[in-house]
Amino acid sequence: MGIIPYIVVSCVLFVCGIIVMIARKNIIGILLGIELVLNAAALNFVTFTKFNNLNLDGHIFALFIILVAAAEAAVGLAIVIRFFQVRESVHIDSATQLQS
Amino acid sequence: MFLVIIFSLSAFLAVAGALSVTFSKNLIHACVYLLFSLVGVAGLYLTLGAEFVAATQLVVYVGGVVVLLLFAIMLTGGTNLHHVTSRFGLESTPLMGNLRTYLMGVVTAVLLVVVLCNVLQGSMTGALVSENKFSSTVEQIGVKLLTDHILAFEISSVLLLGALVGAAIIARPHRSSESEN
Repeated sequence: MGIIPYIVVSCVLFVCGIIVMIARKNIIGILLGIELVLNAAALNFVTFTKFNNLNLDGHIFALFIILVAAAEAAVGLAIVIRFFQVRESVHIDSATQLQS
Repeated sequence: MFLVIIFSLSAFLAVAGALSVTFSKNLIHACVYLLFSLVGVAGLYLTLGAEFVAATQLVVYVGGVVVLLLFAIMLTGGTNLHHVTSRFGLESTPLMGNLRTYLMGVVTAVLLVVVLCNVLQGSMTGALVSENKFSSTVEQIGVKLLTDHILAFEISSVLLLGALVGAAIIARPHRSSESEN
C-alpha cells in the first residue's frame, strides 16, 4: 500500500470541500465544506507521518486539527444561530452588515 | 491483504460520503453523508497505524461536531423543501447552490489542486515506503504531548474554554426581547 492512494483520497475530500464551500448558499452548508477540507489536511499529515518520517508529530498535528475544528464548529454554529435570530435567514448573501 | 480490504472500504466510504455531501440537495442528508465520510477517514487513520487519532476522530467528530451541525440545522428552520423550477425546467432547492455556483466551485478546486500537486511533488517523490510493525501509539503520543508540545497543549485548553464561553455568549437569546420584559 503506497502513498498515492491516500493522497488521492485526501485530494478528493479537499476538492469536494472546496466545491461545497463555493457552491452552497447556506451558511451551515459552507461549514460542512470546511469540515471536509480540514479532514483532508489531517489525513495528509498522518499519511506523510507514516511514509516520510516515523516520529509522531503528524499525529499530534492531526489531533490539534480535530480540536480546532471542534472549536470552530462551536463558534461558527453559535454565530449562525445568532444570525438567524437577527435576520431570520441563513443565506450567505444576507450577511451584509456587522451590526444588527 | 486485510489492510487492503480495510483501506478499500474506508476509502470508498470517505470518497462516496464527500461526493454525496457535495451533490446532496437536502442539508440534513448532506450532514449525515458527512458522518459517513468522517467514519471513512477514521478507518483510513486505522490503516495508517494511527489508532489514537482514529478514536479521537470518531469521538469528537461523530459524537460531537455532526450532532452539533444537525442541531444547528434544525434550530435554523431545517430544510425548506419548496422546490423552485428554474427556466430550464430543472428542479432546484433554494440555498443549495445552482449550476453556476457549482461550475465556479469546480474551477476553483481544480486550480487549487494543480497548484498543490506542483508544490507537494517534491515531498511525495521523496517519501520512502516503509512498513513499520504495528505498535500502540497512545503512550508515545501522551509522552510527546506532555513534553515536547506542552505549550500547544495548554494553549489548546485556553482555546477550548474561549470557544465554549464565546459560543454561549454569541448564541444567547435576543437582546431586544430582554429589554421589552
